[in-house]
Amino acid sequence: MSAIAAAERPRFRFRRRWIGDALAHAYIWIWLGLFALPFVATLLHSLELPKGGYGLEGYDQALGSFKSNLVTSFKVTGLTIAINLAISVPAAYAFVRHRIPGKGFLLSILNLSLYTPAAVMGLSLLITYAFLFHIPKTTTGLVAAYVVGTYPLMLIPLIVALRDLPSVYEEAARTLGANRFQSLVRVELPLLGPGISAGVLLTFVIVFNEFLVTLFIAGPSNVTAALRVYNLTRTAGFMSSTAALAAIMQLVSFLVVLFFFKFFGSRYLKGTYLI
Amino acid sequence: MPRPVSAAMTTLAPPISTLTERAPIPERVAWRDRVSGPGLVLPAVIITILFSMVPLGYLVIVSLTNKSDFFFANPRYSADNYRLVFDRYWPNVLTTLRLGTLSSVLNLIFGYPFAYILIRKVRYRELVRTLMVFPLFGPLYLAFGLYYVLLPNGPLAGVVDFFGLTATDLLYSEAMTLFGMLLFTFPFMVMNVGAALSNVDPTLEEAALTLGAKPWQVFTRVLFPLSRSGILAGLLMCFGWNIGVFVVPILLGGLPQQRVLSLVLQQKAMSSQLDYGLAAAMGIVLMAIAFFVTWLSLKFSRGALGA
Repeated sequence: MSAIAAAERPRFRFRRRWIGDALAHAYIWIWLGLFALPFVATLLHSLELPKGGYGLEGYDQALGSFKSNLVTSFKVTGLTIAINLAISVPAAYAFVRHRIPGKGFLLSILNLSLYTPAAVMGLSLLITYAFLFHIPKTTTGLVAAYVVGTYPLMLIPLIVALRDLPSVYEEAARTLGANRFQSLVRVELPLLGPGISAGVLLTFVIVFNEFLVTLFIAGPSNVTAALRVYNLTRTAGFMSSTAALAAIMQLVSFLVVLFFFKFFGSRYLKGTYLI
Repeated sequence: MPRPVSAAMTTLAPPISTLTERAPIPERVAWRDRVSGPGLVLPAVIITILFSMVPLGYLVIVSLTNKSDFFFANPRYSADNYRLVFDRYWPNVLTTLRLGTLSSVLNLIFGYPFAYILIRKVRYRELVRTLMVFPLFGPLYLAFGLYYVLLPNGPLAGVVDFFGLTATDLLYSEAMTLFGMLLFTFPFMVMNVGAALSNVDPTLEEAALTLGAKPWQVFTRVLFPLSRSGILAGLLMCFGWNIGVFVVPILLGGLPQQRVLSLVLQQKAMSSQLDYGLAAAMGIVLMAIAFFVTWLSLKFSRGALGA
């Protein structure tokens, strides 16, 4: 009798542990499903035809009538990335390699706009552009808003990457006769590749999908695709062409992120907006 | 002004005579080092001052003006708008705080087990990380997708009916608003708690178990104290994002949820009322809450750069 009990107890325990593991993995998979659910639903809706059945008509309409919005989105995002790079690379270099008075305080001041809620930032820029700078509804204002909102996210991965990079490479280049600029362009920037691309990725994902600040400061001539999705859901109801536009936006962003993960991994994104 | 000018001239084109006469090389290097650091940061500082600090300062000034005489040459300044925010619009402030708090707590309740399983048991972490990117594309697409899912003849209508509910019960409710906010900020909670948990040695749990602790005791006595900083950072980060919630209540919430500050602020400033003063006062209150939360989280965690 006791021999049977002793033989059965471990098996029972093993089964209980197996059930616990299965439940744990099921919990993860439920959440993975929930993460993808809105996107899958949007994709499904974008393929629906108004008369019933499925087809690509929504994408035809989206790429036809919303093409200018997509072009605006890509243009504005590209400009922001370029300006962000021009600002952040020197600043990160200075933060790591130079002596700057009040470094920590300065860094938190530069990060100020990251902590401002988007609606507040939009409102403050709306009134400032309208009554102080006199550039309301311009693309200049839009890009400036994106730059100030996202360049800290480019600065952080760059500082992390530069800190990981030993200064011997720069010193070797300098001893071999390169000046500061040459050693930066020829030696350090290539080594900083992953850190720089992490910043580019973050800027792209955020600016490409930003609609709330845009809602406050964009004019009729520079409506981005994300803002167009918002406007359409507010005014035109729930059309499959809107879903198609939203699906295109998410697909583009997702492919960019996948591309990045494949080539660089997620190391340089630690401590930033994405993971 | 003479000194900087002459110094600049020596750095740009040093004439041989001055080099030999004054032997300025060590001095010149020191000067360059002192100036080039701040000089390289200068563009960033200028951008931040122009497009972040000046607008926020101007927002404070505008919040003190009145709607009736805002467009006149000499507006009258008073704290009337703030009195209005803390009186007539106090329910809106409370709604914002309530939704932010509830969604952050829900995030912790659902996110902690997720992070724990992810760190201890899951081998397919890359897949999880990849799918977790979708919420980060923004609440707009999340709310859009969920709205479609819950429509009376949407894809999940059968499931909703099965539980004896109607789609409209779910659609314009506080529960759905909270779910949308929860889904949007879930990655932030998992990120913070996961970072704290990955520093906890699994042998500590095993030791507690062999010494006779029940599983819940392992959590309260070992895991929770060791991951407290991550929990706090996650809660504050989720709260900071969720008090600025805008589009989720529009699409998924009912009228009570649509009273959140960001939304009312946008209506006051843009849809026909043009009451910039009141909108600015609401913005200042919202920003004060957000900055307070950020200050707390920077105080308790080590910040993004560990500085």
